[in-house]
Amino acid sequence: MKRPVRLEPGQKLVLTANRLLDGRTVWWREDGAWDLRIGYAVLLDADGAEAELSRAVEEAQREGVVGVYDTAVLPVVPPEPVTVREKIRAHGPTVHPEFAVETAQ
Amino acid sequence: MSVPVGHYQYDRIDRDFLQARIAEFEGQVKRRLDGTLSEDEFKPLRLMNGLYLQLHAYMLRVAIPYGILDSRQVRKLGKIARRYDRDYGHFTTRQNIQFNWIRLEDTPDILRELAEVDMHAIQTSGNCIRNVTADEYAGAAADELVDPRVHAEILRQWSTLHPEFTFLPRKFKIAISGSPNDRVAARFHDIGILARPGEDGAPLFRIFVGGGLGRTPVIGEELFDSVREEHLLATLEAILRVYNAHGRRDNIYKARIKILVQAIGVEAYREAVEAELAQMDLERYRLTPEAVAAIRSRFAVPLLEAPADADAVLTEQRRADPLFDRWVRSNTHVHRDPGHIIATISLKPAGGIPGDATSAQIGRLADLADAYSFGEIRITHLQNVVLGHVRKDRLRELWLGLSEVGLAEANIGLIGDIVACPGLDYCALANARSIPIAQKLGARFADTALQAEIGALRINISGCINACGHHHAGHIGLLGVDKRGEEFFQLTVGGQAENGAAIGTILGAALPEDETVDAIARLVDCYLGRRESGETFLETLTRLGHEPFREAAYEAV
Amino acid sequence: MKLFELGERTAQVHDVLVTVGELADRDDARAVLLESADDPALLRPYLNRLDLVVLRFPIFRDGRGFTQARELREYLRFSGEIRAEGHILPDQAAFLRRCGVDSVVLPKNGNGDPGLWEKQLRQFPVAYQRSVLPERSAGPGLRVEEAS
Ligand code: HEM
Ligand code: SF4
Repeated sequence: MKRPVRLEPGQKLVLTANRLLDGRTVWWREDGAWDLRIGYAVLLDADGAEAELSRAVEEAQREGVVGVYDTAVLPVVPPEPVTVREKIRAHGPTVHPEFAVETAQ
Repeated sequence: MSVPVGHYQYDRIDRDFLQARIAEFEGQVKRRLDGTLSEDEFKPLRLMNGLYLQLHAYMLRVAIPYGILDSRQVRKLGKIARRYDRDYGHFTTRQNIQFNWIRLEDTPDILRELAEVDMHAIQTSGNCIRNVTADEYAGAAADELVDPRVHAEILRQWSTLHPEFTFLPRKFKIAISGSPNDRVAARFHDIGILARPGEDGAPLFRIFVGGGLGRTPVIGEELFDSVREEHLLATLEAILRVYNAHGRRDNIYKARIKILVQAIGVEAYREAVEAELAQMDLERYRLTPEAVAAIRSRFAVPLLEAPADADAVLTEQRRADPLFDRWVRSNTHVHRDPGHIIATISLKPAGGIPGDATSAQIGRLADLADAYSFGEIRITHLQNVVLGHVRKDRLRELWLGLSEVGLAEANIGLIGDIVACPGLDYCALANARSIPIAQKLGARFADTALQAEIGALRINISGCINACGHHHAGHIGLLGVDKRGEEFFQLTVGGQAENGAAIGTILGAALPEDETVDAIARLVDCYLGRRESGETFLETLTRLGHEPFREAAYEAV
Repeated sequence: MKLFELGERTAQVHDVLVTVGELADRDDARAVLLESADDPALLRPYLNRLDLVVLRFPIFRDGRGFTQARELREYLRFSGEIRAEGHILPDQAAFLRRCGVDSVVLPKNGNGDPGLWEKQLRQFPVAYQRSVLPERSAGPGLRVEEAS
């Protein structure tokens, strides 16, 4: 899953995965738990992200998530992913606004 | 329970088998949760039960073998949409239905619900023999030579949990048709089978191998012209055995049978298959007339009775109501019985999501099937629904019933009948969103009079090179590409899935998403401006070549 | 190494296991290891003296071993023991058996629980296609069950 993420100036990294039981998109929080809302995601620098990523991958089975990886965001509130793909993961399918995911903290 | 029209009727043995499969899957889920199975091990196992992990949730792909459902199965799908999903389902080009918001923990229960109506999700994904597709007008079309469904069912059964071919290099898709007018895209399948009657009454099968779309579109080549029924299974075993042993496993993009056939050539492939057949114990694989008859006997045949004036009634109703007439012109097909007609229900409302249906619509389809078509419903490879045997004098009633639930769109085969994959709104592999561009195009060409004026023109949209939306086979094809995180679309023209199977030609550099709809509108204008009387889009394209269309598409860019 | 028998045949122990390439020089070898890319037809000259063919699965998704086993049984009429080893899952037990495999080297993790293998062998009462095993019809159509 891991692709090299190139950060532009001002961007941060967040960790993301899907929950094993229901498949929902989740984001890695400061306290090591996973949250449905990207607003709770901890923002990481490129240097710090690697260690956090390996920790999250290691704990994935116990925490009940699959496919852990990192992705770039703009550090606004709530953080906004850089790619269309991750925007859609964070907010829900664009063709069903009624299923929009609550993102705020 | 009466025997369903159009598909195989399960018995206790078949039902016990499904229960065993569900119990097996439940055990696999448990082992995944306790860590005995890693995700890498679990993934192929869940895929072989139709369960994908997508962007927002799991997606469950339910098999609709040869595209045929009875009304109680349809109602069950509606219930699953309501209870376990978000009230809708998506019909695919491979005659399956997908649910987008499924939970792994609910899946065994969903499979049990499906089994109650003799349905399953077996082999709807994974590197195995997939759900077998067949002509959507099977058993109804006037041009049909052999009803392919009995043999499609035989192939479904034979391929189910095949001990040797469940861990192939890559997925394997088989389609079968019994009509000279190929409505299954036989030459775009790993194996495409065209049946015709033989001299002794048993069918003969013409077999193509190595077709496919995806990143390397290839038109299948004829392997055998006339395989006899008794050797059908032996021949398929031999083809698959060669593929399983020699197909590439080092690179998933080169693992389909088409790459092997291209690499060694169809003659060498044929020789290899013949070498297998020469060593095989043919008696063991013989498809006996008794076995065929036993399976055939589980299909009910509709009793086609219509009043003598059915055709006259329809003619009069069409004359009196131009709107109805337009729908009849685009959405029906000739039935083998003069008192009946085949009706296609469009799941492509202008501006809607191609192939999506709400549970309310699904329920209504079941009611209409009961009322007008012996309770039988078919799913087409263009993401629409067919009622196969409608009495001509009752067609208008059906149309009125469809109108009430927004299912009377008169656009089959027209520009509004867009095929689109789920794209980046759902799909983990996507580069771009397919649905919004389909919606914009649908809205742009919403006027049904305009659609009728434009005539036969199919648009196919895929969100990435995997080509689930068959963009290579679209008269106009759109392929989503990602340019530094932005959505772009590459345009192709001249693709065709049916008899004159052809792969579309790329027009030029990919366009930004917001310029794509205008470019297609200019392309269509170019056709309308330059066509000669009676010419279809493809015919004008053939006559003029691509250049005028390329110029039109890129004119303002 | 723990062995699990998929059928009646008792699994044998072997001292010398050679590769296909080594067979010609090793008259004493009674057991051979077939990699998934090896062509079973290469064994043809040696079949009479072989007691055991071991099929190695590099990963459980590599299904070539199923075809190799079937070719050994069906084309080469090999009547000795066929064994699967490497990355295999209990979920494949019945497939292996139906293609002619007699025994497996149990994986060393949770997938090596003999109970799981036992259960999987009995999971499905019927099959929809013929295998290399003796079978009889189980109802009309294609369905068969094992003839005991
Ligand atoms: C949303 C989840 C889906 C995923 C992850 C997915 C994945 C894929 C992949 C990876 C391929 C390429 C395989 C190859 O060429 O080796 C493919 C091909 C294909 N898919 Fe999908 N697909 C999805 C949905 C659909 C849908 C909704 C349809 C129907 C509308 C569909 C119909 C097809 C067809 C017809 C092909 C044919 C290409 C061929 O046979 O060469 N898929 N899919
Ligand atoms: S074509 Fe690509 S984007 Fe569309 S469904 Fe297939 S894999 Fe997903």
